[in-house]
Amino acid sequence: MLKKSLQFYIIILIWPVLQFAVFYIGVNFNSFLLAFQNIDTYNNVTTFTFDNITNAFNLITTDPAMGETITNSLISYGLSLVNGIPLGLLFAYYIFKKWPLAGSFRVILFLPSILPVIVSVTIYMYFVENALEFVLKEYFGKTTPLGFLSNPDTRFGAVLFFAIFTGFGTSVLMYTNKMNSIDPEILEAGKLDGASGFKEFWYIVLPLTYPTLTIFLYTGIITIFTSQLNLYSFYSSRSSIQTIGYFLYVSTQRAQGNVSLYPAVAAYGLIFTCVAVPLTFIVKFLLEKFGPSED
Amino acid sequence: MNNLKMKKGRSVITYIMLVILAAYAIALIGVLLWAIMTSFKSLDDFRANPTFLPKVFSWNYGIVYNAYSIQVLFNDELYYVGMLEMYFNSVAYALGGAFFQTMVTCITAYVCARYPFRFSKVLHSIVIVTMIIPVVGNLVSEIQVATALGLTYHIWGTWIMKANFMGLYFLVFYEFSKSLSPSYFEAARIDGANDWHILLRIALPLLRNLILTVMLINFIAYWNDYQIPLIYIPNKPTISYGMYYFSFGRTDNELAGVPMYMAAAILVVVPVIAVFLCFHKKLLGNLTVGGVK
Repeated sequence: MLKKSLQFYIIILIWPVLQFAVFYIGVNFNSFLLAFQNIDTYNNVTTFTFDNITNAFNLITTDPAMGETITNSLISYGLSLVNGIPLGLLFAYYIFKKWPLAGSFRVILFLPSILPVIVSVTIYMYFVENALEFVLKEYFGKTTPLGFLSNPDTRFGAVLFFAIFTGFGTSVLMYTNKMNSIDPEILEAGKLDGASGFKEFWYIVLPLTYPTLTIFLYTGIITIFTSQLNLYSFYSSRSSIQTIGYFLYVSTQRAQGNVSLYPAVAAYGLIFTCVAVPLTFIVKFLLEKFGPSED
Repeated sequence: MNNLKMKKGRSVITYIMLVILAAYAIALIGVLLWAIMTSFKSLDDFRANPTFLPKVFSWNYGIVYNAYSIQVLFNDELYYVGMLEMYFNSVAYALGGAFFQTMVTCITAYVCARYPFRFSKVLHSIVIVTMIIPVVGNLVSEIQVATALGLTYHIWGTWIMKANFMGLYFLVFYEFSKSLSPSYFEAARIDGANDWHILLRIALPLLRNLILTVMLINFIAYWNDYQIPLIYIPNKPTISYGMYYFSFGRTDNELAGVPMYMAAAILVVVPVIAVFLCFHKKLLGNLTVGGVK
């Protein structure tokens, strides 16, 4: 019986293990090798070099445009923490308490998550550039030289606003579902001890939701390096503002079909991964050490 | 008195939150309604009045559906892909991707949870480690590997690339499979069922609701994705890819103007909204991080 179960077990796991070996281990190992390669497609010769890493490192540390790209990524992540998480938790608490229209708000908050980004961006872009401009001019007498998304002074703010405005869905859903799993007896006991309203949220619900929050926080670190802030949907490959994620995607797309350009992109990826990995572990460690306890 | 104060305090928070959420909902729904109204306007009507209802309803949907197509150059052959074919490509890409990814994740998690071999723990650890360790900028490498394996330019190639067991949903399936009562499996074994029968006739039916939920979420994600099709299957444009092309690559005058863009956007989004409205209770209710309600 055990032998037959083992046979079944092996057969079932052949595909997942093979897929993992090729598309995770193989792809990442190849990406690592690429970062050190110089591919001469003309003579079909590949040599190993540190130049890609050196060049990428120099550009990251000295190029003002790259400095701005990194700053944009950090601002985007910071704002999502400062605005998105507190509001997301409060929205989730509202829904969890089943206050007026909670069910409708739950659906509405999740709605942007199910819409294709390219569609949401298109609608938002033309709304801001046409209807909002029209309303401001007609009813408030305010004119802007360019639309909010075209004006260099306002476009980053307008793109950030869109990201925060449409970014509540999944986190609110997960927080609410976690809050719903809190034992009602704990809340009852809290009420008897005088913890109602905001006290209940702060002293009971928040600590018990904290494990879910920490997962979002430390797995969210990678978004500093991968989030495109929907820039590709707003401006295609012609955006004047960049994030690291956008820069990597556009570089990949430009390199596609020209293998000799792959190593440069892989070198950026390797350097950013070297920053992202320890950063994630530091944040995880700090959150676990200094965060509130479920007990 | 104290009780009264607490109730008063709670109601203040409630009303502040209600106002914020109502403002959010009005803004969101308002923008969507604006898009729908605009999609029924003529270009002249829109230029004169970019807000509120159209003066005369224009059926832009018919024009967009019939006239919109993407020019594709593949294997030295030039051809056009219309909206119907884009829908078909989207269905194939999203349905296949969601099905294979969900089933591989589900079955791998079930096997790891129910079969206490040492390798099960290894796979469980791999999932957790890959979730924590971020890898950045490996898309060029993935393209190289996919090209070497002949997976690019085929929709089935994207299914293979995405049919993995990693990610949050592995943990959800794992916890659920672990929580299933052993009596189901013991009874089946006593009745002579082998491992395949137990998987197909007991485990998968018990996991059915969760499979459907995860598959729906994956389906929506694949339907909405245009960047992966843009890279791997530019010869098989999906409807979201079509919307991207509509925004940035289109050159014909017949489809110019914001009302046409809005009509195209609504056409892209209708199937997803329909799926969401039919299944929103399943989508919104079944998942928690690291477990199932």
